Amino acid sequence: MSLATPADRAPPTAPVRPFAGLRTWFTMLAICLEERLVYRGDFVIGTVMRFLPIVTQVFLWTAVFNATSRPDIAGYTRNDIVAYYLLTMVTRAFSSMPGLSGGISRSVRDGSVKKYLVQPVDYVAYLLAARIAHKLVYYVVAILPFAAIFYVCRGYFPPIPDVGTIAAYVLSLVLSFLLGFFMEATLGMLGFWFLEVSSIIFAYMLVQYLLSGHMFPIDMLSGVQTGIAGVTLADVVRWLPFEYTAYFPAAVWLGKIQGATLARDLAIEAGWVVVMAVACRIAWWRGTRRYSAFGG
Amino acid sequence: MKRYFTIFLTFARACLIRDMTFRVNFLLECVTSMGWMSMNLAFYLLIFTFTPEIGRDTGWSREPFFAFVATGLIINSIVQALFMPSAEELTEMVRTGGLDAVLVQPLDPQFMLSMHRVDFSACANGLVGIGLLGWAVSRMDSTPPPVAWLLYPLLILCGVAILYSLVIMLAAATILLGRNQSLYDFWFYLTNFSRYPAEIYAGPWGGPLRTLFTFVIPILLVVNVPARVIALPFSGESWGLMVALLVAATATLVISRLVFQAAITKYRSASS
Amino acid sequence: MVFLYTSGMHNSNRGGPADRGVDPVISVDSLAKEYRVYDKPEGLLASVTGLFHRTSRLVEAVRGVSLSIGRGEFVALLGPNGAGKTTFLKLLSGIITPSRGTARVLGHVPWERADDFRRRFALVMGQRNQLWWDLPAAESFRLHKEIYRIEPARFNRTRDELVDLLGVRGLMLQPVRELSLGERMKLELIAALLHEPEVLFLDEPTIGLDVVAQHTIHDFLKAVQARRRVTVVLTTHYMKDVAALCERVVVITHGSILHDGPLEEIVDRFTTHKIVTLDLDATPAVGRMERFGFPCEIRGPRVELRIDRTRIADVLPEILRSESVRDISVEDVPLEEIVAELFRAGPAPAGATA
Repeated sequence: MSLATPADRAPPTAPVRPFAGLRTWFTMLAICLEERLVYRGDFVIGTVMRFLPIVTQVFLWTAVFNATSRPDIAGYTRNDIVAYYLLTMVTRAFSSMPGLSGGISRSVRDGSVKKYLVQPVDYVAYLLAARIAHKLVYYVVAILPFAAIFYVCRGYFPPIPDVGTIAAYVLSLVLSFLLGFFMEATLGMLGFWFLEVSSIIFAYMLVQYLLSGHMFPIDMLSGVQTGIAGVTLADVVRWLPFEYTAYFPAAVWLGKIQGATLARDLAIEAGWVVVMAVACRIAWWRGTRRYSAFGG
Repeated sequence: MKRYFTIFLTFARACLIRDMTFRVNFLLECVTSMGWMSMNLAFYLLIFTFTPEIGRDTGWSREPFFAFVATGLIINSIVQALFMPSAEELTEMVRTGGLDAVLVQPLDPQFMLSMHRVDFSACANGLVGIGLLGWAVSRMDSTPPPVAWLLYPLLILCGVAILYSLVIMLAAATILLGRNQSLYDFWFYLTNFSRYPAEIYAGPWGGPLRTLFTFVIPILLVVNVPARVIALPFSGESWGLMVALLVAATATLVISRLVFQAAITKYRSASS
Repeated sequence: MVFLYTSGMHNSNRGGPADRGVDPVISVDSLAKEYRVYDKPEGLLASVTGLFHRTSRLVEAVRGVSLSIGRGEFVALLGPNGAGKTTFLKLLSGIITPSRGTARVLGHVPWERADDFRRRFALVMGQRNQLWWDLPAAESFRLHKEIYRIEPARFNRTRDELVDLLGVRGLMLQPVRELSLGERMKLELIAALLHEPEVLFLDEPTIGLDVVAQHTIHDFLKAVQARRRVTVVLTTHYMKDVAALCERVVVITHGSILHDGPLEEIVDRFTTHKIVTLDLDATPAVGRMERFGFPCEIRGPRVELRIDRTRIADVLPEILRSESVRDISVEDVPLEEIVAELFRAGPAPAGATA
């Protein structure tokens, strides 16, 4: 029985050694695909329905633009905003990791993490491989609804950017996948220290919701002062990892971030990926040591 | 009937006792819902730094808009507290045969299936809504006349009735189809359209959408009518809307009941 | 109302203090229930085609069942899993509506679900609970009192009587989810009887219970039924339940009635031979025994033969004459075996049910 839309379900926890062979890989893919298709009607409807809240948001912004005489808000015209929301859906298709942190903390709680301590398997690498498979399957099946919607809404988009921007976009997407993965994995690892990680995860989700650009483009925070001389909220958020899970790639595609700024922000994003990957590694290492010390 | 009320109180008491036993969880739930809500409020505050009102000449400036949001919070918290918990459990009940037990008892199954569980943590948002309403109204340019305050609770009840009917129709669909989690996502996505004042739905796409959600699935009447009465200057148009809300509430209650009865008749029951 | 009996059934009007012929409490006429089941696709290719087209088949859970039960009878519906017993019970309690046929319980059509009807019967399903999970039993009972509008003094009396009969007074204040299966079943039975129903439907009430609990429940049911003349219909696939509780058993397989009458009659009706066990002086050769009966099991000097009933009178003297027999016994085929064989067999032939 599914407790969330199919796209939110975690991948099957098949105890397979990663990179043990292409065949296993494809079996995993096939299983994921089959699981998806079992929920046939649910899946197609579910994917399309996830775009529905954007409709309401677009109407809201249209009403906002109607009421002011401004041509744009923080550099976004009304059409830009529509394109922005659609693009954040793409980013989130890469960076959202449903069930990852919960699954890890649960396996720590019920002891099933033990088998990874004993086997010569890299737990983190295994999780990453499973996620990649899971995501690939999702993309294969979701590409049609996504493409249809984007095609219908193509009028809202600015002209397709140049190759350099596209390259930067793709890079930012890949990095956002890794960033999302390592952040949630590290959160899950906290299960080694705290019995109920759900409150921490919830707090993370809340901050994410506000600062990832999910609700509005981060540029809009450039008018909000922090109290420290000349520093706006947008400046602060740029240095945090959250905006890279929704806002950043969308802004790149729309050409809102260029040149040196673009390079710098990509570096920040990559930097966070490294930081979180290391944090995850350390959390695993110290967590398992602590776990074994307590006899599991 | 008094009997139904007594039975409902027993259920409510049991849920309250359980919530108090698992106090930490209960508090966490309250904080969770208030957390999401405050993020949204921050977002609205941000919007109002860019514009004086939502939609040209609609009257939804900052304080009236927040009164609208507050009304939505109050209505939704009532539905979340009283009806959604039972409805969410329906799939499970169909699966385990709990529905069979209900059908055998000399009691209206619709009552049992929509009201046997109460989620008290959902009241947190409602209380915040009341506070927000007070704040917004106190800062508005035009204060609502006493008759508006008298009508407000009644209109809220009508709005709740419409949402309740929607819950019942979803329950009927669950009974017919056996399992369907996406139906509850459907609820979320549908009611999401009524988050903002109906005036935002303008233009070639907005117009038909507004008509659809006013006359066919009247979710736009739910929050808009009481909110208008309390937040916008009282006018003759308001009376028309209030009548529409009343009619919609009655119609949806009747229709949903018929649909529910039909679903029960066609109930398959998980065999063994 | 027309009473139709399965052909081949003796007109055995036995089964307790039945006034079945006068005014039956339950009468069923050609009741049938079928529904469509969609096949789940297996494998990747099937899953894809499953997006566009799904095959289905029609399952006949109950096929044209007719029977009649009088006041105070204690009837068992015996059958293997999937035989349609539970579906039949659900039809009689009004949970589902039939595809064809009619039925009346206490004068009402069950699936019309009249409140008057629902107040006069009770349904208990084994392993499926109906008590409110989070409430202590005492609260559940109070809820029952409200729902069934039981008068307070009467409620107290009935409750105390039932609680003492089953000895569960100590469990009343614990939340039901903390109790064991056996304890829960006892409380469920009490809850079902609080409103003094005239008809009691039990669906596999002893399933999953240990022997002691089963025994307790058997005794309880017998006591209750005797005291209050409740009409009881119980479905089960355990012979034990049947043997302990009822004189009348209705065997159901594949949605049809195979037999309706006393248990002993099953032997008469469904077996063609008897089992003869011989204790001989010495182990005989196989070929020697086979002329008496078949099939034949030889364990040392002990021989077990199956001999056609009609020929027993002739074969026995012959055995005694030609063999040196130390001991001989003639028995019926064990009931369990007959019933198991019945369960395995396919649906009754077309003309067998009305």
